[in-house]
Amino acid sequence: MLFRQIVFYALLMGLLAGAVVTIVQTVQVVPIILSAETYEGAEEPALAPFKAEGHTHGGGESEDADAWAPADGMERTLFTFISNTITAMGFALLVLVAMFATRNLTNSGNNDFNWRHGLIWGAAGYAVFWLAPAIGMPPEIPLATTAPLEDRQLWWGFAAICTAAGLAGLAFAKSPWRWVLALLVLVPHIVGAPHHEGALFAEQPPEAAAALEALAQQFVGASAIANASLWIVLGLVGVWALRRIVVSTDRSTDDEAFSSRV
Amino acid sequence: MQNHSSTVRQDVTRTHSVAKPLQLVSAFVLGGVIVYAAGFLNTAAVHNAAHDTRHSQGFPCH
Repeated sequence: MLFRQIVFYALLMGLLAGAVVTIVQTVQVVPIILSAETYEGAEEPALAPFKAEGHTHGGGESEDADAWAPADGMERTLFTFISNTITAMGFALLVLVAMFATRNLTNSGNNDFNWRHGLIWGAAGYAVFWLAPAIGMPPEIPLATTAPLEDRQLWWGFAAICTAAGLAGLAFAKSPWRWVLALLVLVPHIVGAPHHEGALFAEQPPEAAAALEALAQQFVGASAIANASLWIVLGLVGVWALRRIVVSTDRSTDDEAFSSRV
Repeated sequence: MQNHSSTVRQDVTRTHSVAKPLQLVSAFVLGGVIVYAAGFLNTAAVHNAAHDTRHSQGFPCH
């Protein structure tokens, strides 16, 4: 069954990509997050509690201070690995379905997908889920003062959907429609991402703000690299999975065609 | 009557092989729900567990 196969391979892809990303993150992303957190008020736990109405860290007492959080060290890394893996599984499902659904549009029906297809799909995933949102809202470190969370989440989703639709148009539609659809990529940036007025670390003392600014810049690069590693793995392993799924569904298609005629 | 019985028979075969587009859509929706839960859900425990992932992925956090 197609659904079961896609889910199985997506779990495998997620596990592999989650492991790779966790290693890359632990080396270059997490140290920046931890350095930023050292500027949080001493009374707050290292993993700052979350308040539902959208806030910035460092505001003193918080309502959810009792909320569970993984302890720093191994436990925190373990939960980061788990959430990386789950996120990667979600991305893997989306990209595998897209690959399978469009397989005949790109490949004239032959099952000769190779690593180049994998890299192209990986690049597309990277553009949709990292690059396009990051152009409007660079990945943030803790303590940044930003626009309300809900606005940013909404824009993030909007940017991802427009970019996916635009790239799909560019890749699969016929001219002149492909160029019209490709313009969708620009729409979120014309609309503009929600931004907070004023300095990024306005709530911090000047010397802390300067240090955090430097960390914030490093963080964008670190996040770019971590996500590139994620999408390279998802793209390459995705093509391998696609080939296996296509072979086994083509084998079962005859049986299904028969049973639907009965 | 004849109509009715043929509908039933169709339904029976459908349950044996769910249409491929429906399977694809289901897998896609499942992927979307997983990404939403990991990246966007505003529950304190989920946020704290996925904190470093969210920052690193560039998901809006906090």
